[in-house]
Amino acid sequence: MNCSDVRDALEAYIADDLTDAEQAKLAAHLATCDECTAAYERTRTVVADLKGIADAFVPRERFVPRPEYAPRPAGGWGWRIAAVAASALALLAMSALTVPALARQLPLPLAREIDALEEENESLQQQVDELSVRLETVGGEEVAIVDSAPGDLSPEVNAAIQLLAMDFIRARYAGDLDALAAMGTERLKADIAAHPQDYLRPVGAEIVFAQMTEAAVTEDGTYLVFVRLSDSVEWTDSQYQENFEIEFIDGVYLVDFMGMDA
Amino acid sequence: MDDRELVLRAKAGDARAFTTLVRRHERSLYATAYAITRSQWDAADAVQDALADAYASLKTLRDPDRFAAWISRIVINRCNGLLRRRGRVLPMDEPPEPQAFVWDGPEDGLDLMRAIQALSPDHREVIALRYFRDLKVADIAELLGCPAGTVKSRINRALAALEAALGRHSEQEVPR
Repeated sequence: MNCSDVRDALEAYIADDLTDAEQAKLAAHLATCDECTAAYERTRTVVADLKGIADAFVPRERFVPRPEYAPRPAGGWGWRIAAVAASALALLAMSALTVPALARQLPLPLAREIDALEEENESLQQQVDELSVRLETVGGEEVAIVDSAPGDLSPEVNAAIQLLAMDFIRARYAGDLDALAAMGTERLKADIAAHPQDYLRPVGAEIVFAQMTEAAVTEDGTYLVFVRLSDSVEWTDSQYQENFEIEFIDGVYLVDFMGMDA
Repeated sequence: MDDRELVLRAKAGDARAFTTLVRRHERSLYATAYAITRSQWDAADAVQDALADAYASLKTLRDPDRFAAWISRIVINRCNGLLRRRGRVLPMDEPPEPQAFVWDGPEDGLDLMRAIQALSPDHREVIALRYFRDLKVADIAELLGCPAGTVKSRINRALAALEAALGRHSEQEVPR
């Protein structure tokens, strides 16, 4: 076995993948060759380091099978909420759009508390049931004004409206009142100045789940988009919906009103 | 309970068994996807989509002992799909601090991941499959559809590149 053979086989030697005879030959070479021994040490170290980080990445998102594949909702509650919210929104004849892109744009997205929450399944289910009922009730009046057939708006307009809503939510969680005001009409600016607390989420709150409708436009030209959110703070208002009314003024989309629904 | 038993239970409709498998493999699958996609968010998407694929097609897994390689293949497929689409879209810049994952390793471990991410796609793939997913060379060869010799030489070249990147390269050439 020459040095070149040994270098080629070092990885397998370290992994204990060689036959006993090969293993013995390689060990014998290492005993007599300083360069190969040094190479062995370097490779052994990097292999150990690689194995050492295999389990060091702890995803914030708890991965679960999606409900459309599952016989019944199992595991993470976010997907269950998604299923309920999606069906409730579908009842309102709007096309629901899950937005993983939203989660990735938010400052500290995704859940870390799912394990604890999974243990509260029973009360959770109750809340989910109430959530769906509330959504339908809420929809009765608010959504009646929405001409919500998907495809009403061009993709560009739809994307601009949704992006504005995303940016607005991101600023809320970042606690950035200036950014919020910059995205609002004069009416909204005044409201933010008068009631700043209404526009901020509790310190430390993180988005667990987000879902938004496609944008729609009313007869008087107001754009509407509804965003379903769950965050990590407290149960009473951690699952909620934000209804946006957005105006197109002087070539810019601005939030004119944002209201929270249960 | 080993993977084999969990796979058998999951195939019989036990969703909890599948969740246990997910929890057991999700970190190394995420590390694999992160090495390959080089985006912490794409990695999360790839793993989530792959697990949904896996759950839907679990019945097609004939040999329950091969779950680790099988699920790795699905993640690789998802990553490559994402990378193909990324070809047309500018990737988001990675933030200085991790956001999609919590780091639970040695202080300089993320430097090693960055060094892996600087490798060629073929090399990132074999390193992740070999050391994060702990697969045999023969399994990687089958999974990638290439000869075992090719996998071995890719691993050797990738390790040499990592040693060099981490400042552990030899100053002497290997005598041939």
